[in-house]
Amino acid sequence: MATQVFKVPDSIIKDMTYGFCPGCDHGVAIRLVAECLDELGLKENAITATSIGCSVCLYDYLDVDSVEAPHGRALAEATGIKRARPDKFVFTYQGDGDFASIGLGESTHAALRGENITAICINNTTYGMTGGQLGPTTLLGQVTTTSPTGRNVEYYGYPIRIAEHIALCEGTAYSARVSLDSVANIRKAKQAIKKAFEYQLKGLGFSFVEILSTCPTNWHMTPQKAHDRVRDDMMKVFVPGVYKDVLQKV
Amino acid sequence: MTLTATKPEGKVLIKGNYAIANAAVIAGCECYFGYPITPQSEIGEFMSGKMQELKRAYVSSESELASINMVIGACSTGAKAMTSSSSCAVSLMQEALSYATAEELPVVLVSVMRGGPGLGNIYPSQGDYNQATIGGGNGDYKLIVLAPGNVQECIDLTYKAFYLAHKYKNPTMVLADGLLGQMMEPVTFGDYPYPEVDDSAWALTGAKGRGRRVIRSYAPSADDQCVFLNKLYAKYALIEEKEVMYDEYMTEDADLIVASFGSMSRNVKSAVKIAREKGLKVGAFRPITISPFPNKRLKELSCSAKKFLVTEINMGQMVRDVRLAVNGKVPVEFYGKGVGSMIDVEDLVDKIESLIEV
Amino acid sequence: MSHIEIDEQRCKACYLCIDECPKKLIKVGEKVNKLGAKPVEFCDPKGECLGCAMCATRCPDMAITKVFRG
Repeated sequence: MATQVFKVPDSIIKDMTYGFCPGCDHGVAIRLVAECLDELGLKENAITATSIGCSVCLYDYLDVDSVEAPHGRALAEATGIKRARPDKFVFTYQGDGDFASIGLGESTHAALRGENITAICINNTTYGMTGGQLGPTTLLGQVTTTSPTGRNVEYYGYPIRIAEHIALCEGTAYSARVSLDSVANIRKAKQAIKKAFEYQLKGLGFSFVEILSTCPTNWHMTPQKAHDRVRDDMMKVFVPGVYKDVLQKV
Repeated sequence: MTLTATKPEGKVLIKGNYAIANAAVIAGCECYFGYPITPQSEIGEFMSGKMQELKRAYVSSESELASINMVIGACSTGAKAMTSSSSCAVSLMQEALSYATAEELPVVLVSVMRGGPGLGNIYPSQGDYNQATIGGGNGDYKLIVLAPGNVQECIDLTYKAFYLAHKYKNPTMVLADGLLGQMMEPVTFGDYPYPEVDDSAWALTGAKGRGRRVIRSYAPSADDQCVFLNKLYAKYALIEEKEVMYDEYMTEDADLIVASFGSMSRNVKSAVKIAREKGLKVGAFRPITISPFPNKRLKELSCSAKKFLVTEINMGQMVRDVRLAVNGKVPVEFYGKGVGSMIDVEDLVDKIESLIEV
Repeated sequence: MSHIEIDEQRCKACYLCIDECPKKLIKVGEKVNKLGAKPVEFCDPKGECLGCAMCATRCPDMAITKVFRG
């Protein structure tokens, strides 16, 4: 008798199809979030705040209570939700532009206050929904629609290392960077998300996972080549790892 | 300043800002999020102590952008939540107010006006009438805006703001000014006089035993958005029908009606009294809800009065609404000054005399 | 017997799963789905599937909806 080892998570809305482009890792990331919600039994107690960008679509796919935030303000709304209802499981799902550019103030201060919430940030080094412009994590040399000859320091300055930045905040309980470039790393990514969720359940403070992800459409790459780029280019600058873990003294 | 008892007995002498803050506490405000700005900083200072004492939520936020969005988050769970701010900082909240109206959330915002534009100064002003009633957010939306004229009304309208925000699921603003915020008057608090509004049909509580709920402003289809906007505007029509408030003084036989709002109305009333003693047929009109605006009543008054004078501590903002309400039936004059203390009673009387003589 | 189930209407033809399968049991099908994509098909005549779920783990669209092992 065969045992089922994979299913569509219960926390995913029944019979939906993602609106993401073919090969986009948002789909994997949302599934991992859903699997963690399932495994920790959080679906019926969760409230999410989603911001602007492709990440906002979360509320069309995840079967949990959600409120939409203006661009960059998801962690302010999540703070409001958690302070009003501390017994609820509260998390945000944001892109890098949302989390680390327009919303960097909200992100940093939520971490500094040690808000007992979890933030998931998809880093695909570009503004995907608006057509692939330069964002806060665009790599040096990367060509985007607003860096047509590649990101140079003279005009654009440097990309931000988000997980390291959040790890520096005293209120952060957990900050990790993971990648979705391979199945092995996808499994590690899920463990990181689960740990971040568990840290909120333990009331340890702000927990954060940065997920290196693809945008094949705006990178003008096949999904396969896009994963090669994550591995060969992104992971050298944005090195996966655990940058803060209050329980492991990292 | 500390009120040791949350609900002091009888009359107390209190500053407008503290009155607003304590009224919010009595109204059951569960969450306060704020960023300091003169002339309303006492509200946040009072709340920082009182909310912690009562084990309610308080966050000293990183910006006004964060404050108002924290209020949105708290309100999405049905909580009574508020922020307070002033003029140039309320500018930063316009985006979120547009979202909050589209998401139909009971946000309560207290705006204590100071001089503008830009940084302006910290003197009293009424220069944010347009900011409050028209707003700078995107799209078709309206706030409910209540304008107190004295410290007692700062209390009464703070109570009302929480009630109306939750009753209509619409962001509601109490629009005071630096004079009201800083002046002391004897007041009574009493109990929160409104019923609690049931939010169980829409609040986010986690999807236990029911389908999940999404509070969103994003509408993928133009047709759906038209349906939503029609519903929103039907709500605004209902609010205008049910909730318009105004104050009138000796308008029955008045040839000239002096219209003003907020603290400016205090001197207007005194000037009307003096002008009446001089035998001038003059009355005063004061909108208490400046959004929705008492259009209907002003239209009625334009049938009996021969002229209107609008006085404001700004360069002429509410005068536009009065002109729209009167719709050309009688002349509407403006008498104002940009910023600072209220126009003197004597100057008002002179102005009234000059208009009635003509 | 180990096997997978594919919801061909969800497949967007990124074909990441094809590379992932250690036994090369997934191939591009001939049909066109409602998304205009040629969805993948599971083709395991010799019963080689390990039930490792690497395909489903990789799939960004949850088009591989079930994996059974054993």
